Amino acid sequence: MVNSAQTVLSPSWPDRQHIDLISEAVVRVLKGTGIRIDDVDFVIDSGSDFLDGRSISNCGFLGAMGAHHKEESRVEEDGLWALTYGANKIAAGSASVGLIIAYSKPSESIVSNFWADMLEPFTQRPIGLDHESAAALYGQRYLARAGLVADDLQAVSRRAYRLAVSNAGVDLDAVPDDEAFWSEEVSSPLRRADFARPVDGAVAILLASPDVADQITARPVWITGMGSAIDQHFIAAREPDSLPAATAAAKSALRMAGTDSAKDYDLVELSGASTVGELMVAEAIGLAEPYSAIELYRNETASLNPSGGALPADVIMATGLVRVHEASSRLAGRTDSGDIGASSALVHGTGGFSMQNHCVVTMEVAS
Amino acid sequence: MTLTDTTEVARSSAENMHYMPAQLTIPYTLTPGQATGIFIAELVNKRLLGSRHGDEIIVPAQDFSGSTGEPASGFVEVAPVGEVQAFTTNAKGTLGLVLIDGTTTPFLHKLVGFEPGSLEIGTRVAAIWSESPTGNSVLDLAGFGPIGEAGTFEPKSDPEGLAEPIEQIDYTMTLDFKHAYGAYYGTLFDGVETGRRIRGSKCSKCRRVLLPPRAVCDSCFAPATEWADVADTGTIQASSVVHIEFLGQRKQPPYVYAEIVLDGASTRLIHIVGDVDAERAKTAAAPGARVRAVWSDQHTGSLGDIEHFELIEE
Ligand SMILES: [Zn+2]
Repeated sequence: MVNSAQTVLSPSWPDRQHIDLISEAVVRVLKGTGIRIDDVDFVIDSGSDFLDGRSISNCGFLGAMGAHHKEESRVEEDGLWALTYGANKIAAGSASVGLIIAYSKPSESIVSNFWADMLEPFTQRPIGLDHESAAALYGQRYLARAGLVADDLQAVSRRAYRLAVSNAGVDLDAVPDDEAFWSEEVSSPLRRADFARPVDGAVAILLASPDVADQITARPVWITGMGSAIDQHFIAAREPDSLPAATAAAKSALRMAGTDSAKDYDLVELSGASTVGELMVAEAIGLAEPYSAIELYRNETASLNPSGGALPADVIMATGLVRVHEASSRLAGRTDSGDIGASSALVHGTGGFSMQNHCVVTMEVAS
Repeated sequence: MTLTDTTEVARSSAENMHYMPAQLTIPYTLTPGQATGIFIAELVNKRLLGSRHGDEIIVPAQDFSGSTGEPASGFVEVAPVGEVQAFTTNAKGTLGLVLIDGTTTPFLHKLVGFEPGSLEIGTRVAAIWSESPTGNSVLDLAGFGPIGEAGTFEPKSDPEGLAEPIEQIDYTMTLDFKHAYGAYYGTLFDGVETGRRIRGSKCSKCRRVLLPPRAVCDSCFAPATEWADVADTGTIQASSVVHIEFLGQRKQPPYVYAEIVLDGASTRLIHIVGDVDAERAKTAAAPGARVRAVWSDQHTGSLGDIEHFELIEE
């Protein structure tokens, strides 16, 4: 990875279309690299027709992506999967420069419908299941098993919002001071603050083969491991308070990277669709023992989600790739905020109804 | 007027933050298949069916276990009573995971009829059947309520007299959107609405005029921040007489669709050529034919303000 860029992530971009957000991210990712759009061999993008409100929506966005007359392919999953697709293409030797793009404007649609429309339509959708009640069913069981109450989850959510305020990439002036946001049950036992806040935005990552990367930057970020896994669809049949698919994805990435544990990484960026979801991911990938991840938040862990993570800024379909932007910018020294001297990072993304799918990518810079 | 400054483009839109509301309604004929089809069909008979997969018994009945992939070895009839494993309440009501007696995987459904605060993990519940069943919905089982006097029994293997599976369930997905025009489309549509003025953006590299206007040229990926006026007359590049009817069609066929290059634009606009007989259109609306916009009385600020294009007869 030789460069990355994103737009500001905002709850609403009322004066910009998808193409405006996408082209801003793409223009910025090329800037200063010496790579021109003509040098890009392929474009892999990630988005959702359902969120975009048009079928095969990428076809209308090709110009903004710089994909004119190029190989282009779309992943209907978080952009982190698009990254693994692109990395595999380069690793296979069929291309040397690739552009990975993810975007969404959830402000243009009704997010609960987007999630509910993923559901099996015979026994799950008609009863009124939505992504918040599904997260809450995990929440009730997780809290009971971990011996926590809903107020304890503020260790996760307040930290996330505090960090997002100091993240220039997130449109958030202050930690919300609305009492209902933190305390009122939306889907018991979870409150508004426990659910990821949908935001609009676009992100782009520039990938290159080693020979090209070395010409562009003295500090390329190398992808060292990739893994993904999927849980079963029926929420009732999944594990009650853990995410085995996230464990499988992390295992696969760590094995490829030749490392033993997620704890070996200087920096970790996770995508949680809810506070409980983020805790379960932290445990699933091995950052904490089962039901104890809250301690990572109670005892400030600087290496975990320094960006604030997905809770204050969930660019649905792009959140995992934003995590890559955050992590790789820090590793490459492209950010002035929060340089913690990291030389390796582990990034997690999720997709599907109630975190059914998980993807983990590990990366490092020469120290 | 020409604008070369992008910040000015952005400012003009901030005053007119236009949205286009849109609704997609997509009809489906869904096929529930064998296990789910029989499960739903049996609800009107007030029978709850599970499926056996090795040591697992799953309700609602499935053709395969989602955990092991094991195919069902047969149906089992289970007592419509069980125990709440988890629940959540939101503005719409309460959903709960109910472990039906004798089964291994909980069943997610509505929980109804509980006093606030009376529901706990472990609460025993019984089926509440719909008073007006439809024969094709999981909601023929309205949900689970307080156990009352309901009794239980062991799962019964291979129940007799099973209903035929439901073959088809009609369903319509409705999605609502509020699409932002953004600075470029916004400027075009403002001009169309107020002054019947059509403007494109000019690519700084290839100098083509793009309509609708956009910030970046599709071909060159170069900025296109300069405005260019485009006439409401143009030349047909291709046309087609539409005879088929399809869902969502806005005009009764036959009608003529054409790709039109407006004078001053470099890109094609697809619109309708009106006031021309379908048979005559084959020659009269052929490539090279000249057309002129017929503006409607409506000022909606969209290209729908052009009623259609009419042929400019020599
Ligand atoms: Zn151009």
